[in-house]
Amino acid sequence: MPEKSRSNLYVGLFCVAVALVLIFIWIPLDTKTGIVERARGKFVIGDALAPTVAAGFVLLGGLLLLVFERNAEDQPALGPSKIKFVASVVAVIGVGFAIMRFAGPAAVEVANLFREDPLEYRLLRATPVWKHIGYVMGGTIMVSGIIAIVERKMSRRAVLTGIAAVVVLIAVFDLPFDDLLLPPNGDV
Amino acid sequence: MDILDYIWLGIQAVFMGPEAFSFLGVSVSVTIMMVLAGFLFGIVVGATPGLAGPFAMAISLPILISIFGYTPDALLPVMGFLIGIMKGATIGGAVPAILFNTPGTPDAFMTTLDGYPMAQKGQAKKALRIAHFSSASGDTFSDIVLFVCAPFLAIIVEAYLDLPEKTGLLILSLSFIAAVIGGSAGKGLISIGLGLLAVYVGTGEDFYPRMSMGAEGLSRGFPITTAVLGVLIVGAVFKELEEIWRSTGSAKPVHAPAETGDQKLHWADIKNLFPTIFRSAAIGTSIGALPGVGSTLAATLGYTVGRARHQKSKSDDAPDFGDGAPEGVAATEAANSAVSGANLIPVLSLGIPGNAAAVFLILAAESIGGFNPGPAVFRFSPDVVNPELVIAFGIFTCMTIANVINWTIGGVFMRSMGFMINIPKTLLLPAVLLLTLTAIYVQETRLEAIWFALGFGVLGYIMRVLTISPLPFVIAFILGRSLEQTARQAYSATGNDPFFLFNSPIALIFILMSVAVIIFSGRKSKGAAA
Repeated sequence: MPEKSRSNLYVGLFCVAVALVLIFIWIPLDTKTGIVERARGKFVIGDALAPTVAAGFVLLGGLLLLVFERNAEDQPALGPSKIKFVASVVAVIGVGFAIMRFAGPAAVEVANLFREDPLEYRLLRATPVWKHIGYVMGGTIMVSGIIAIVERKMSRRAVLTGIAAVVVLIAVFDLPFDDLLLPPNGDV
Repeated sequence: MDILDYIWLGIQAVFMGPEAFSFLGVSVSVTIMMVLAGFLFGIVVGATPGLAGPFAMAISLPILISIFGYTPDALLPVMGFLIGIMKGATIGGAVPAILFNTPGTPDAFMTTLDGYPMAQKGQAKKALRIAHFSSASGDTFSDIVLFVCAPFLAIIVEAYLDLPEKTGLLILSLSFIAAVIGGSAGKGLISIGLGLLAVYVGTGEDFYPRMSMGAEGLSRGFPITTAVLGVLIVGAVFKELEEIWRSTGSAKPVHAPAETGDQKLHWADIKNLFPTIFRSAAIGTSIGALPGVGSTLAATLGYTVGRARHQKSKSDDAPDFGDGAPEGVAATEAANSAVSGANLIPVLSLGIPGNAAAVFLILAAESIGGFNPGPAVFRFSPDVVNPELVIAFGIFTCMTIANVINWTIGGVFMRSMGFMINIPKTLLLPAVLLLTLTAIYVQETRLEAIWFALGFGVLGYIMRVLTISPLPFVIAFILGRSLEQTARQAYSATGNDPFFLFNSPIALIFILMSVAVIIFSGRKSKGAAA
């Protein structure tokens, strides 16, 4: 018989702990004005009040879980397999965006090996083909990588879907608008 | 300027706005075309299992803003498109529910209970016709209630509620949303608290951006698009992908059951269904007017009440609910469609979003500017034109146009969307993810926004796994700043009275109701757990 999940207890304890850290450590140390401040002879609401109230909501929610819902039926479980899955998807997205960020400038550096007057990616970020290199490579890797994780195998269909998605998005966001910047061209 | 002048200006703003094209010398405005496009797109999205209206609204918004820009002229075409999606997705969700026993949207789950048995008996097209007729009726009924109630509610709020009472009302709304969404007051409060904490990072009145830990990236706060799209869309995509991954499912193509017999919806059918539709429309509208109570609950209530009435009044040879009763399809579809219009009552009259679709309408208004949903919108100024009121009546006109489109071509288009079931989610969802992240980048133009959105996406995923609804988080994120600002103003306006929430009888009632709703809901949860 599978072990009954006690996630409400753990979530409740976690939220109470986080709320207490927020109320007594983070908010007082990381906010310059307190809950109420005296300014020009008058009391005014300080910047710490609103986040303290927010942390109060988390504290109250955690306590309700601990007191009233600790033994609820059918509590969900956040098992290691779910964490692994979402971590791997986030990792693929991270790799995709890292490639997106650096592929264009890297391509320019490679082109400079064969040129006498060097190019600069920043000046080419609105020039077709150059501006698409990062997005095409990173986007394709991201989409096909996630499909491969979900289907548990890399397939030609996954790669083609990645390419098709990137081409469609370039057609939607880039071709009709001169003033829009696809990733990563706002950062380079 | 009286009320009729404002209504006329709102209609003119829609029909005589920028021209899309001219047909036989008659100018057709861009806004009308956008309502049409949004409505058809909404049906397509609703008919695709795994996607829903909020997905389509999320990915459309940055594209629409890129097309129309940040000018007041952009408001009606953009809002019209989003309203079209909102309405289209609701009826689209019934298509796979009836044909394939797979709800296209969560609120269409109850439609499967009688819609699919009807399809199995060879009455698929008839079930789709009933679903469309009921949905369009519920939607129209709800819109009429919205048109009448929202202005009156806003006027009452403006007349009787001062700053302390408005602060109390915001606290009551957040408590109510925490208590009713997801069925656990504790989890609702956690979701609200996290949303408020997120919006307070990097903001405040002091020179130092609070809770930013001195980090440059956090000092500007989290952009609203990263929080809303991250928690609502990226988190939902992660969850859907994980479910497919667990089922190791590459889905096989499915086919609708064969049709036999008369598929038409006759006047006699309509007469039989009318009491069920009216009852469910009233239930859906009442539920929809409460912030945070969604169309799924409306559908469930409509179905339950409809079943109770059906058991008492049905003839012996008529099928029971669950066995393919046309009344079952009508009860569900009228109720869930009646939510969409009524949900805009708290949005337009109080500035409080009640569901995910309303969140995106507020997001559009905030992004474009020039329209701040809330009681001030319905200020009937006699001497100077209130442009926000013209926009509000323009939105009502867009909703009416969407209803006309729904009644005329909606049914035909809806019935042709059965093939959308075969679009593989494994391929679609990663593309939607790239589209969402690209849309965020296009608006924010910094990679930091992508990392924020991913962080919120993981949070949204974890919340879904732990059955903590992400909707209170998003609503709190949207209302957080206004709550703080109103409280600061109320404190100043009452001469720095720290008990301003308790000295006004109305504010005190709101606060007591907030406490009562949490205690009641908490005790109910305990009862359910025992």
